[in-house]
Amino acid sequence: MHVQLFITCLGENFFPEMLESMTTLLERLGITPCFPSEQTCCGQPQYNSGFEAEARSMARRWMRTFSHSDAPIISPSGSCVEMVRHYPHLFPEGSEEHTLAIELAARTFEFTEFLVRQLGVTDVGAHFPHRVTYHASCHLLRGLGLRDEAKRLLAAVRDLEFITLTEEETCCGFGGIFSVLYPEVSGAMLENKVRHIIASGAEYVVVGEAGCLMNIAGGLHKAGSAIHPIHLIEVLAAQGGA
Amino acid sequence: MTQNRFPNPVLDAVRHSLGYESGAPLPPHPLLPSARAAGTPQAEIALLLQEIDKVSGHTQQLTTHNLDTALGALVETENIRTATVWNTPTLQCLDIAGRLKHLGVTLVPPDAEKHTLAQCDLGVTEADFAIPDSGTLGLLSGPEKPRAVSLLPAVHLALLTPAALRPDLHQVFAEAQHHGYLILITGPSRTADIELTLTLGVHGPRELYVWIFESPGE
Amino acid sequence: MSDTPTTPIEFRRYTQNLSPAIPIAIQQATGQFFEKRNARVAELPEWELLRDVGHRLRLHTLEHLDAYLEQAATSLSAAGVQVHWAMNGAEANAVVLDIARQHNVKTIAKVKSMATEEIALNTALQAAGFQITETDLGEFIIQLAGLGPSHIVVPAVHLKKEEIAQLFKEKLGVEAPPDPEQLTAIARARLREVFLAADMGISGANFLVAETGTLVMVTNEGNGRMCTTLPDLHVAVVAIDKVVPDWESLATLLKLLARSATGQKLSTYTNFITGPRKTKGEHGPRELHVVLLDNGRSRMLASPLTRETLKCIRCGSCLNVCPVYKQVGGYAYGWFISGPIGAVLTPQLLGTKIAAELPYASTLCGACAEVCPVKVPLLDLLRHLRRRVAEGDATTTPIVSPVLRGVARGSAIALGTPWLYRLGARLMPLLQVPVRRGNWIPSLPAPLNRWTMVRPFMPFRARFRRWWKHHKKNE
Repeated sequence: MHVQLFITCLGENFFPEMLESMTTLLERLGITPCFPSEQTCCGQPQYNSGFEAEARSMARRWMRTFSHSDAPIISPSGSCVEMVRHYPHLFPEGSEEHTLAIELAARTFEFTEFLVRQLGVTDVGAHFPHRVTYHASCHLLRGLGLRDEAKRLLAAVRDLEFITLTEEETCCGFGGIFSVLYPEVSGAMLENKVRHIIASGAEYVVVGEAGCLMNIAGGLHKAGSAIHPIHLIEVLAAQGGA
Repeated sequence: MTQNRFPNPVLDAVRHSLGYESGAPLPPHPLLPSARAAGTPQAEIALLLQEIDKVSGHTQQLTTHNLDTALGALVETENIRTATVWNTPTLQCLDIAGRLKHLGVTLVPPDAEKHTLAQCDLGVTEADFAIPDSGTLGLLSGPEKPRAVSLLPAVHLALLTPAALRPDLHQVFAEAQHHGYLILITGPSRTADIELTLTLGVHGPRELYVWIFESPGE
Repeated sequence: MSDTPTTPIEFRRYTQNLSPAIPIAIQQATGQFFEKRNARVAELPEWELLRDVGHRLRLHTLEHLDAYLEQAATSLSAAGVQVHWAMNGAEANAVVLDIARQHNVKTIAKVKSMATEEIALNTALQAAGFQITETDLGEFIIQLAGLGPSHIVVPAVHLKKEEIAQLFKEKLGVEAPPDPEQLTAIARARLREVFLAADMGISGANFLVAETGTLVMVTNEGNGRMCTTLPDLHVAVVAIDKVVPDWESLATLLKLLARSATGQKLSTYTNFITGPRKTKGEHGPRELHVVLLDNGRSRMLASPLTRETLKCIRCGSCLNVCPVYKQVGGYAYGWFISGPIGAVLTPQLLGTKIAAELPYASTLCGACAEVCPVKVPLLDLLRHLRRRVAEGDATTTPIVSPVLRGVARGSAIALGTPWLYRLGARLMPLLQVPVRRGNWIPSLPAPLNRWTMVRPFMPFRARFRRWWKHHKKNE
């Protein structure tokens, strides 16, 4: 089976190991990934900030990039996939672009969504012998309705001890442009999240979304915490130790 | 509905925004969930009493034989000196007013002036409706059922018979909507406005007593 | 009473220096409400069905609001109610003032009403020399403090009992211990005098039934009953989006409202008032007026999306679950209504010039939309209003600063042009050298310090494209 890798601008620029893990994990599962190199960013920052015209031009480029192949499109970011699912709203109903957007959105999946809902796989043969807690990112959870996919995947990881995070589903305070428009509020929300993570007693905090991960990692570092922030996909790709 | 009987800029603005022609027929509104089915009368009564207890009401099941005892206990517990009672057939039949007088309570007519009623310690009414699954009483109003009797005195005693039971709000509304007034009462008055601490007895009655009569008067 | 803002609402400025006491109080309160709400929702396996019905019912009513308003007015008149129409707050206040003057009113007792906060009715009445007392305990407290409500359901939630005791001491001249029960008893005694003396009661309504002209009020304390039963004159200010078709719809809406707002199955007192009293003996007002208020709502009906804002039944669930509201409290939103619904309603009622900051006062986390009992599309509305601010639309010109507009354009070009993007990915690791400290970038110059003032930034480390080339070669 072939898939197209949609690596996302945050993934590409800040989490290279995670992308490499995602690629090799897919291959281990018998999938053949390809990488359309014209890809850049899905336009979410512009769209969520209210700059729809700019978002539309980015959407066009994204659709051009990923429509060369029929293969499903896989991304490590729930928020980016949610953005692609909004693409049809950017174009007038009945237009060619609208139709294309619907077609592409229907075959774009977030990574855990692809594994669990498309492939029916929950055990990816991972081994991660550590105490782990999980922050449920808003776009994965509420945006895409992925309530338990990540947890089912984590449950199958050998020797992983799962600790439930208090207020697991509460926003970490990133919110894209929100973090720089209202830094004080964002900071307070981050402090709450970090406090709960530290109180969990875990060694690792697992996050499925790059934006949240940047925010939480920074917060943990500032708090002087030894807890390691790690992307969900890296845990799933782990083959013993980290 | 088709004539514009109320020429005014608000309606014009609404019509303009909606883009509808005035007088277009109204489509039927969405189907609503069906009402809860009733359990057996005993089960319904048990549920009603349980739910009223949950909202801090005081419940009792009575017959005419233990009515005097119950009233005596109420008068003593709540230190009732004055009371006002609805003039409904059931309450007259049970002679609540008479029994209270016998206990030394001063009776005030239910349609008395508000300042007088405000001096009453006890207001006695009948419940026209009772909804078991939320422990709710429904009271209509009328010349023999003045509204303030269940409002001004600090203690409200509501009597009811199984005939008042209705499975759900739907049935109550079907009957009550033709009347000019309905009050649904679920427990004594309360607030959580100060630090979210629940306090009972704010402006309305501080105590709610609900007594069920299996067979009111022979 | 909250005054209507006439200058831009400054969410950032307000939230820059918040006392930590505010989130503590708010989180405690909203946490409790939300727990209770969840318990009541868990009891109802048909909750999602009810939400759907609530949504469709409210939407249907709004889509045919002209017909339902006419029906309501006809029913109200048939029941003996005097109906008034007000395009805006000024007209509504003028009507109420007129009624008060005509009846030589001395004392006014008022029930909590969001609509009257919206139009600053109390201010107008007081300016005209009328004595008006708020009778909901929370509203009574904030009236004494000279504040507006900080939460839809519990307006004084941000105040501690010690502060309230102090307030009672100063304004009522009573020695009040910081105990909720005793403070409530003091308020009860004071307000009882007001109820008995009032010659006019003012309220809002949670719903107005079109079929019968019935006002529905959902309350817990009993003051709602007092104000609408004891005085001879009752005036209700009702926003036009409160209309429901019939009593049958109420069965669903009341279940949704009570459980969502306070986690009760039904509120303590749900009042159904159809017209003034029919006989003197039964109590109730001799004269009943209803003022139907537009104040910008008819404009919102024009678009299918903005119309859905008006489905709101003012339960406060979205506030109770919003991580931003819980951090900053109600006053940050600058007007009588706050939280997610405030962030979308205020810009639509007051315009984006005044409320440009509000649609951005959200992380778009979606918790609000998940709990809204009538499925108001809060996220879509927030994004729609951000578009209004950033790009303008049929109703308004863009507000956003040229700097931000430049950043948006620039980023779209930089991120949207493949060769530029790839060049940036390669350049940034070099450009960041002066600010990088090991694995972190602890501080950046303004305006990028808006990130680093809260937490350090991660360094740019793009290398996937190179890795992929190698990876494919080694296959």
